[in-house]
Amino acid sequence: MDSRLLRRNKQLDTVARHIITVGGVAVIFSVIAILFLIVRVTIPLFKPASVQPLATLSQGSERAPLVALGIDDYQQNIFSLDSTGSLLFRPLADTDNAVAVDLAAGSNRLLRQVTTVAPNHYGLLWDDGSLSVARIDFRPQFDQQGRRTIVPLTEIIDHLPPPEHEAAVVDSLAVFNEQEGLLLRVSLHADNGFSIWRRTVREDLFGDETISEERQAIAPYFEEITAFALARDGRALFAGTQGGTLLRWRLADADITLTDTMPAFKEPITAMAMVFGSQSLAVGTAGGSLTTWMGVRDSEASETKKLRKIHTLQSHQGAVRYILPSQRDKSLLSLDNEGRLHLDHMTSERHLLNMAGPHNLIALSSRGNSLISLGADNVLQVNALHNPHPEINLRTLFGKVWYENYDAPDYVWQSSAGSDDYEAKFSITPLLFGTIKGTMYAMIFALPLATFGAVYISHFAPPHLQRLIKPLVEVMASVPSVVIGFLIALVLAPFIETHIVALLLSFLLLPGAFLLFILVWQYCQRFQVVQEMRPGYEFILILPVLLVGAYLAYLLGPPLENLLFDGNFSRFLFDSTGSRYDQRNCIIIAFGLGFTVIPIIFSIAEDSLSNVPTSLTAASMALGASRWQTVWRVILPSASPGIFAGAMIGLGRAVGETMIVLMATGNTPIMDLSIFNGMRTLSANIAVEIPEAPVDGTLYRVLFLCAVLLFVMTFLVNTGAELVRERLRKKYMRY
Amino acid sequence: MLKKILKNKYWQDGEPFVWATGAALTLILVLTFALLFVIVKNGIAVYWPADLVHFEMEDGSAYLGEVVQTTDDEQAGIRHQVKIGNRDLYPLDFKWLTEAHIQQKTAPREAVLLERSAYGNFYGYLAGLELPSLEVPATDNPWARFKSALAALGPGLEELQDIQAELSTLNAQVERLDGKIAKLVYHDKEADPQMAALQRRKESLSQEFQAHVSRYEVRERDLMANTALFEDAGGRQQTIALMSVIRAYRPNDMSPVAKTGIYLRKVWELFTAEPRESNTEGGLFPAIFGTIMLIFIMSILSFPLGVLAGIYLREYAREGLLVRLVRIAVNNLAGIPSIVYGIFGLAFFVYGIGSSIDQLFFPEQLPTPTFGTGGILWASLTLGLLTVPVVIVATEEALGAIPSGLRESSFALGSTKLQTLTRILLPMASPGILTGFILAMARAAGEVAPLMITGVVKLAPALPLDATFPFLHLDRKFMHLGFHIYDIGFQSPNVEAAKPMVFVTTLLLLAIVITMTSSAIVLRSRMKKKFAITND
Repeated sequence: MDSRLLRRNKQLDTVARHIITVGGVAVIFSVIAILFLIVRVTIPLFKPASVQPLATLSQGSERAPLVALGIDDYQQNIFSLDSTGSLLFRPLADTDNAVAVDLAAGSNRLLRQVTTVAPNHYGLLWDDGSLSVARIDFRPQFDQQGRRTIVPLTEIIDHLPPPEHEAAVVDSLAVFNEQEGLLLRVSLHADNGFSIWRRTVREDLFGDETISEERQAIAPYFEEITAFALARDGRALFAGTQGGTLLRWRLADADITLTDTMPAFKEPITAMAMVFGSQSLAVGTAGGSLTTWMGVRDSEASETKKLRKIHTLQSHQGAVRYILPSQRDKSLLSLDNEGRLHLDHMTSERHLLNMAGPHNLIALSSRGNSLISLGADNVLQVNALHNPHPEINLRTLFGKVWYENYDAPDYVWQSSAGSDDYEAKFSITPLLFGTIKGTMYAMIFALPLATFGAVYISHFAPPHLQRLIKPLVEVMASVPSVVIGFLIALVLAPFIETHIVALLLSFLLLPGAFLLFILVWQYCQRFQVVQEMRPGYEFILILPVLLVGAYLAYLLGPPLENLLFDGNFSRFLFDSTGSRYDQRNCIIIAFGLGFTVIPIIFSIAEDSLSNVPTSLTAASMALGASRWQTVWRVILPSASPGIFAGAMIGLGRAVGETMIVLMATGNTPIMDLSIFNGMRTLSANIAVEIPEAPVDGTLYRVLFLCAVLLFVMTFLVNTGAELVRERLRKKYMRY
Repeated sequence: MLKKILKNKYWQDGEPFVWATGAALTLILVLTFALLFVIVKNGIAVYWPADLVHFEMEDGSAYLGEVVQTTDDEQAGIRHQVKIGNRDLYPLDFKWLTEAHIQQKTAPREAVLLERSAYGNFYGYLAGLELPSLEVPATDNPWARFKSALAALGPGLEELQDIQAELSTLNAQVERLDGKIAKLVYHDKEADPQMAALQRRKESLSQEFQAHVSRYEVRERDLMANTALFEDAGGRQQTIALMSVIRAYRPNDMSPVAKTGIYLRKVWELFTAEPRESNTEGGLFPAIFGTIMLIFIMSILSFPLGVLAGIYLREYAREGLLVRLVRIAVNNLAGIPSIVYGIFGLAFFVYGIGSSIDQLFFPEQLPTPTFGTGGILWASLTLGLLTVPVVIVATEEALGAIPSGLRESSFALGSTKLQTLTRILLPMASPGILTGFILAMARAAGEVAPLMITGVVKLAPALPLDATFPFLHLDRKFMHLGFHIYDIGFQSPNVEAAKPMVFVTTLLLLAIVITMTSSAIVLRSRMKKKFAITND
């Protein structure tokens, strides 16, 4: 033979081998890499917060002590306010180019305290007891090229004189709400009493404003009040005492009422703040404990809410000195007396960050992405704070969580709502529950049908029927799930809704008709004609029997509904059990999912049943066993791993099925085992929510976590089934 | 008594259990046939022109329409659901009429059904014609005159269509120019002489565009003036522009042959026309086209890769623990839920690769994404990934089914592995591979969940393949039969009116999928026979 040709062949062969090897390995591993890519998206959910130092600026020694700091969202500008009321805006890129504003307006008052009264609005408490409400903000401006410049903005909105009270002002908090025309100032006095001043501006339909001012006072409390906080809507005042008692007053009415006196701690309360959303109160104590409290109804019936401890966050080593809530989520920054900084999230109780101090003053930007603090030696530290998913941990994903506005901890999936201060709730448990519930009902329906059918086809039906019916089942398997979903949701569901009693009755009547027929048939055995009938066509003979049973149920349904359930089953169900009848419920899902699962279980079970060596069947028959006895005692035990594998693979398919559950479950994430209502599954949840999930946001990543769960569940189930099948295949190789 | 029965040999032999398994099989078959029956029955009947019934009610009101269904309820008695159409006159286009309140039911021969381009069907009686710009000879028979007026409208409508086609060409040209200008602006080359030329060209194109638009408007106004006056069952009059009439016929006056004609024309429309009335009327052409193109692009990807990997696994990889694990993993991947592939496609293709492509090649368009959003390419790739494991498994099984004696004889004759593969194994395995592949395509054709998040839309403005450069627009969104079912069945404001269309779409999709599956099954059974000979 031509040696050149041989060599060329060999070279080609080597090249092909390399291409195929590289290509094959690449394809297989890129397909398997899917899992890792999906997992990678979810990893940031569980990472703690991190800070990245951006700049350190030293304060000139000539400046008076600083009382407030601020930073913008773009991490480009900061402001610092010293006790003489001099405000200094400094661009970080060019710190010499500072803009100074004098908030004291020429007087020689000194600033004692600065608190936040509204986003970007501050209450400046002067040493003479007067209070200024000032807006200090960074406003981005865009020029024609779209370039951004940040312009500092300061405005004194109001200046309130010292309160008329016999004791001196110790501290003062205020609330300013421009939209509702509310300005409220609450001052704590040296005698442990409060004075309250409120101004409301009401605008009527014609745009005329009426301004009303009122003054109120709270009588001195017998204990020393060491901390207090004011709800953002100005409706509640909270205070903590030296003895560790939490107090709450309702300010909304004309009379001020003390609604709560809660002996909460055995140590002094040292710091208090309202968590973002103003529903929960964060409390720090001298012992370093940090807890959040919320008004909760003690029972379903009661109208009033009592303060209760809801979340316990990581404790500090020293007394908690200051709590700074984030303006964006339920995160809390807290400082202890040595200036150590903690970042915690209330709902998840995650401890996100720990910074050694000392930090004397801290401030967050309004988006919570930058942190500025005054450290030792009068040095300002500017940090980028990366805290994207503080609300997620395993407990909030899978456990019961006590959310605001709830009377008890619960599993809740609620990813979005109208208001800004709303907290998204990402409990995967109801979705897992829904997935398992739907799958379970589907399997109850599909498994017996599919295995029994497979047994019949593989061992009782004549071979030519096998060749006819197996492709038919394959065609059934190829029916797109969207078709099944549409049919069961828009055709079957309304039908079953009106014929639910008939359906329930048919569960009784179908077996009844079957049994009756068997008895009749048994009697008929004594006739020659029946005895001589060829076996293998039972399934055709039984069809009219089943149809008669179903028709009877259809006929008897309405009268029975009138008789037993007053003519309306769903109302009866609601009245007697309190559970609602949904049109799109588990019965529908059982049919729909069952329809997709039956062919899968059927063909795998049929495969393993007909692969049982014929020698076994023959031996059994030769020993005098009937055809059923052979199947029951010989075939089924040896094929059971295969049937099990088929069931597992069917289960995996049902778990991941999306379109059917999306169309026919109603998609409400509830946890209720009732067969008459719907659910939301992991897969439908992904399909429903992902179009609205911002890329790399918490919802987006949680949905990927749902996908990972689905992947893992189906992968485990399928692998188990695959291993069982492989062993079975080996076992039969011996015969 | 019971004991006696159970002691009987019949029960001892377990015959009743055999019957029980038979009953299970029967139930499965009944379910399958019921499903097929419901779809075929409803889907086929949709386009058959139903008779129009004129109802005179006791309270003096009258309705004309098609009876959709009749129910018999113990409390309400016999009731008919009637499609009364005329959405521009009535608040709802379906009405329930109670048999007891009906005074008279007639099927007037002159009752007309108008299919319109807006407001859905009109059911009524012809009352007059106003034809200022059409020359139609006056006859005694107003219906005949109406029909010939409709026919006379044809040339005018064609002219409008031509102008529209020109407009869309111009529009595409302007868009291309805009893209070029944006590119120049992005690269800070605004002073470039090219820029001025482009601007001038755009200017002239816009002028041309405007000229066409005004020509269109004039012509349209001219045609719109031709109207027909119709009366509904209650005598309310409605003027309807002839232009908006797509089809007009009198079902009660038609022979079965004529009805078949209408039926066939509507089926033709289904396959060739664009959808109307928020997808509840008209054709399915874009959805059919999108589905086919999706499967085609997917096949280009998944077939070679899957076959390659399958060949590697069976013929080249050394058997060992690793290969066993990989095989289990691949087998498994075929069972991973499609939504997981979908979400992966979204993260990896759309937001990963797509965004990178945008940053590299289309930076001037940002922040409007070009490839960084769902599109037919990404949907096809996602489906490709979903089907690759199926193709791998099919290839492996087909190769594995070939007796090893054949390989050995081939080697013994001195052929290399590649020669054995290409001359012996692949030709023998090809029916098996093809079968697996067709089954994979059938699965892909019916898959909707992953498409929903990677680029399918309810109404795509343009096909992914058209006559404007670069002809194949892989970044475009597309329509899909399966999604169409979901969308019009579940997202449409008027579910009742959408139902017929859902049934038709379902029937079509099911027909496509079942055809594919059955051809695969036939192929496989032939292959089995062939192998039976080889093995002897």
